[in-house]
Parts: sequence; structure tokens; C-alpha cells
Amino acid sequence: MGNYFSAERFINVFPKVISNLSVNLHIVFWSMLLGTILAIFVAVLRIRRVPVISGLLGIYISFMRGTPLLVQMMIAFYGIPIVLGNLFLNLFGINLNRLEPVIFVEIAIILNEGAFLGEIFRGAITSVPSVQAEAGYSIGMTGAQTFYRIVLPQAFKVALPHYGVDFIGVFQNTSLVFILGVVDLLGKAKTLGAATGHSLEGYLSAAIIYISFSLFLKGVFLLIENRLNNGTAKAV
Amino acid sequence: MSFSITSFFDSFKSALLYAPVTIKLTAITFVVSLLLGAVIATVRNYRVPVLSQFFAAFVTIYLGLPTMVALLLYNLLFMTFYSDVAAALHISVPISDVNPIFIGYITLIIGTTCSVSESIRGAFRGIEKVQYEAGYSIGMGKFKTLTRIIFPQMVPILLPGMQNSLIGLLKASNLVSAISVVEIMTGALLPSLMYYSYLEGYVAAALVYWMIGAAIEILAHFAEKNSGKYLKRTA
Amino acid sequence: MIELTGVKKSFGKQEVLRDVSIKVNDGEVVVILGPSGSGKTTLLRSINFLERADSGIMKFGEKEINFKTAKKKDVLYMRRHTGFVFQNYGLFAHKTVLQNVMEGLVQVQKKSKSEAQRIAEEVLDNVGMLEKKDSYPSQLSGGQQQRVGIARAVALKPDLILFDEPTSALDPELVGETLEVIKKVAKTGITMIVVTHEMSFAEDVADRVIFMDGGVVVEEGKPSEIFYKPKEERTRQFLSRIIPQDAYVI
Repeated sequence: MGNYFSAERFINVFPKVISNLSVNLHIVFWSMLLGTILAIFVAVLRIRRVPVISGLLGIYISFMRGTPLLVQMMIAFYGIPIVLGNLFLNLFGINLNRLEPVIFVEIAIILNEGAFLGEIFRGAITSVPSVQAEAGYSIGMTGAQTFYRIVLPQAFKVALPHYGVDFIGVFQNTSLVFILGVVDLLGKAKTLGAATGHSLEGYLSAAIIYISFSLFLKGVFLLIENRLNNGTAKAV
Repeated sequence: MSFSITSFFDSFKSALLYAPVTIKLTAITFVVSLLLGAVIATVRNYRVPVLSQFFAAFVTIYLGLPTMVALLLYNLLFMTFYSDVAAALHISVPISDVNPIFIGYITLIIGTTCSVSESIRGAFRGIEKVQYEAGYSIGMGKFKTLTRIIFPQMVPILLPGMQNSLIGLLKASNLVSAISVVEIMTGALLPSLMYYSYLEGYVAAALVYWMIGAAIEILAHFAEKNSGKYLKRTA
Repeated sequence: MIELTGVKKSFGKQEVLRDVSIKVNDGEVVVILGPSGSGKTTLLRSINFLERADSGIMKFGEKEINFKTAKKKDVLYMRRHTGFVFQNYGLFAHKTVLQNVMEGLVQVQKKSKSEAQRIAEEVLDNVGMLEKKDSYPSQLSGGQQQRVGIARAVALKPDLILFDEPTSALDPELVGETLEVIKKVAKTGITMIVVTHEMSFAEDVADRVIFMDGGVVVEEGKPSEIFYKPKEERTRQFLSRIIPQDAYVI
């Protein structure tokens, strides 16, 4: 093994790699925040079967679910400046070609999540038995009251495990962003490897960080589910 | 707005040419992972001592490793140690002749096996205990009961999840492009090297993936129709 | 033909069977009664090893098995020489009625498909389910499913059939038809052990009644003795809670 792996190099490299974890977390935070909001709209529009829009959303969802994230990121990276470049330049004076690649990555993930979470939310909301809403109406609650006070809380319980799994998935998907030049965990590992000629320690560090943080996230979600169900959570 | 239809079609054709690479990678990985995943899930279901705990720990930990990281890691390990291992095993194939897709297979198989084993474990939970007992009560042993009674009833439960897993695998196979395998996406980009415009290439690649995914959904739809007819209730 | 001696079973700290001994002769129909938690179902399930008793001896025909040291072949032997009828029917959900009955004949007794089908159809006819031979369990009522369950056990021509509360999960109006089928089976002279709450059935069909409570056999005897002249206080208490609803008690 000798020259290939060195514990000394590893101890040296690990802190440098993990300092870029904030990049990944930044991406996860913003993408999930905006993605969740988008998903709620998508879910409600689809459940209501709003004409035309539901159909278009169906195509959008099919596309996001049927194509690889990396390809989507590339399309966002190359496509958005081409399609919206002139618009943004004239209206806001922003040159889209100068934007940080991270923005395009996040846009791709947000759109992705809008589709995936949208389906999760739609499934969860429709899984609440209609008798629940009917019970709400029967005591005189309005549609909005029934939705927010009766249906949504129950749907939330159903959706949470799937949301957790998806959340962790997004975190793991940030392992792709280095391809667009974003210096995150892997990005840092790669540059260090290129600089020193030894990549193994960097990749191992990234692997360990991904696994540990994923397990940590799993634990957090299990705790939340447990609290919600008063101790009867089951892992999805 | 510059989107060249000609370069799009060139990319599309090029992508289709490499579709078999992706399809083969996806299909073979999936079948192997199903088998291995079933073994792991069965071992855990019957709580075989030592092995159950080992697999439980392995799967839980391994699922935290993203496919991309695994690919890069295994590729690096392969590059680093190949010559030593090959010499020890008296393999005379030089490293440049080994197709990197081999690393892709290993990475995807291990990962998919782990996630599939979790799905199958979930399906096990959907089978009532009495089905096992009914099999034993007429004198069938564990293996016969498992293969003739339990597994067939797990199929309709598993189908939707398997469809998702398969499409997820199809998309994950895209990542082998990072270890120099030419698949749909990199295939679509080959013509772009002449032009400069990458967008058409990526859109073409997306389209091909989308089509394959749609085909999988149609197949799954038929599979779902034909299984589980015993689950329907009539008055 | 079957004799259990000193059977003990605990689930964790809970002692469910504390030294139980029973004996059933060839051709006898024995009913085991008792409150829930008395261990009667556990005792029944120990016979074909759906539960594993902690200790005790089982003499089945010429064979003697020690529960503590019982091996896989002993377990298989018992399962292949006894039939079991489940409280919740236990039909193979993915197989038709006919396939359910044929399964054991083909897979365990290695009969040919045609022979198995012949036997299966004959038995199904006897329980009145031949018409529904191609239906799936999900398409049948509880009573119908139970009759198929009985057919499946009977078809294998076991030496002993065990019934685990065969009518407890049925709607009241379906109980009668199922009991009729069980009576029919009893008439064929096969040895049966039935765990049940159905008193009138016990009175009609049982040769002997065993009353269990708290993991032990409290009393046993002919139905007329147990129901009308119970010797033990516990037996009396149990019966007094159940009998008032039944009209046949004088």
C-alpha cells in the first residue's frame, strides 16, 4: 500500500475537504426550501386538475423524473443563458453567462424537487380519506379551514418519511456539482488530488463525510417522525 | 435564441447509437441486483445470525455513499492497484485494455443491490405470518414455502417500487460518463465537439433517456396488470 | 394415538403452558375449551411445531418426540402427518381454491397433477366448494374460505387434524355451515382436536372435552359431564359466563 495511502496525508486533507461541506449544505438548503414551495403549488394544481396547467405539469413532472439530474444541470447551465440571456440583459442588466455555476445547479435541483416532491405531496394529500374532509364540512368548516386544519396535518405525517428520504437524496446528489466547476466536497478533493498527485485520501474523506452526514440526517428525520407519531415511526 | 436543429438531430442520432450501452448496463445491473438483493433481504427476514446483522450494518452505511463518489473512489482504487493485483493473479491484460465500464457495473450493482434489498424487505413485511404457517402446516419446508408461497405474493407489492428503482438506475448509469465510459450523454455530445454548441447535445440526451424511461413505464404497466389479479375483490 | 406429557412453554417471562398432559385416542374428537390466555391455542400449535414448546414429550403413534431436542425431521414428520385448520383460514392468497388444495398433494406428497386434481375436486365437493374451484380467496366469504381450509387439510389424509378456533373469525350466520362441514369430517372417523368456543358443537360432536385455564388442564371428561356436572370451581365459573347465552342448556 505504502505510497498510495498515507494516514498523515489523510489527517491533513480531511479538514480541508470538510470545510467545503458548507457549499453542499448551502445548495441543499436553498434548493429544498424553494423546491418545497414549488412542489406545494404543483401538487395543489394537479389535485385540483386545473385545465391545461395540470397537463403541462404532467409533462414537466415526467421529464424531471425521467431524465438524469446531471443532464438537467447541463441543460440549465447552457440553456438558460441562451433562452433568457437577452431578456435578463435588457431588463435587469444581468449577464447570465457570468453567473456562478452554483445558481444553475440550484435551479435544476429546484425544478427537480418541484416534480418529485410535488408527487409525494399529491400522494400524501390524496391518501387522506375523503371522510376526513367530509367530517370537517359536516361541522361547518370552510374548504380552506378543512384543508389546513384537517387534511394537511394528516398528509404531512404521511409525506414526512418520503420527504426525509428525498432530502437525503438531494444531499447525495450534490456530489455531481463539481462537474460544473462548483468547488464542494468532491470539487475540493479533486483539486487537492490534482495539486498533490494523491487523490485517494481526498475521495475517502468525501466518502466518509457523505456517509456520516447521511446517517445523521436519517437520525434527525427518524426523531421528527417519532415525535409526530408519539413513538411509532418506522423507517421507510 | 440559438438552437440548431441540425446539430440536435446529429446529437440525437449519436445518442441513440450509444443507447444500447446504457440499456445493457441498466438491465444487467438490475437483474443481478434483484438476485443479490433478494438474498440479502431473505437472510435478514429469517434473521440468520451474524449475516443479518452484517448485512443490516453494511446496507445502512453503504446507502450513505453517493454513486458518484463510489465511482470515483473505485476507479481510483482500480487504477492504483490493478497492476499489482493482476500480477498476483497472473492476468496479463494491460490496464489500458480493461473497459472502464467494468467499474461502472461493480459500483452500480453494489448500490442497487442495497436499495433493492430494502424494498424487498419492505415487501416481506407485507406478507402475513399465517401464509408462512399455512405452508408449514401442509408439510412444506422453509425453502419451498418461501419460493412457492411468499415470493409470488410479494411481486405485486414490489412492482411499483421496482419500476422506480429501475428508472433511478437508468439515470444513475449516466454517471459512468465521469469515468470515461461513453454512454447516452457523452455519446450525444460527440458531434458537439465539432460545433461548440453543447445545449443541443444535452437536450438530445435527455430525450433519449426520457424515451427509455417511458418504455419502462409501459412495461411496468403491463406487468402490474397481469400480476395481482388475485388481489381484486368481487362481491 | 397422540399423547402429550409435561408440556411447558413460556413466552419471555410469561408462562403459557405449565405442565400440560393430554391424551387423544384413535378416532376420538376432543374439544379443548378455555378462556383466552389459557394456553389452549399454544398447546395445539405445539403439536405441529408452529410454536416450539420448551419441554415435554409427545408420543404420536409409534413415534416419540422430546420437544426440547426435537430435530428438523421430527418437525417435518409431524407437519406431514397432521392437518391444521387456521382461525383466519390461512389460504394461499395467490392461488385458486383448487390450487390451494392441490398444493400439498403435489409439492409434499409428490402426487401427479392429475391424481392431485382428482383428489382435490373430490374433497372440495364434499365440503360444497367444488363450484368455486377457480375462485381466489379474496373472492370468497369467510365461511367459504374456511371450508376450503378444511378441504386442504383433509385432502392430505393426515392421521390427526388440528382445528384452531375454526369459527371464531366468522360472521354468525356463516358459523353454522362451517360447523356442519367439521361434523362431516368427524363422522369419517378421523382423529380431531378442536379448540373452540362453540359449546353446542362440542356437545354434538366431541367424545371428550378438556377444559384449560391458566396454562393447565383443569378438568376433562365427556361433554355431558363437563357441561352439566363440572367438578371444578373454575370450570363452573367459565361455563356460567358462556352458557346463559345458549338456549340448549336445561
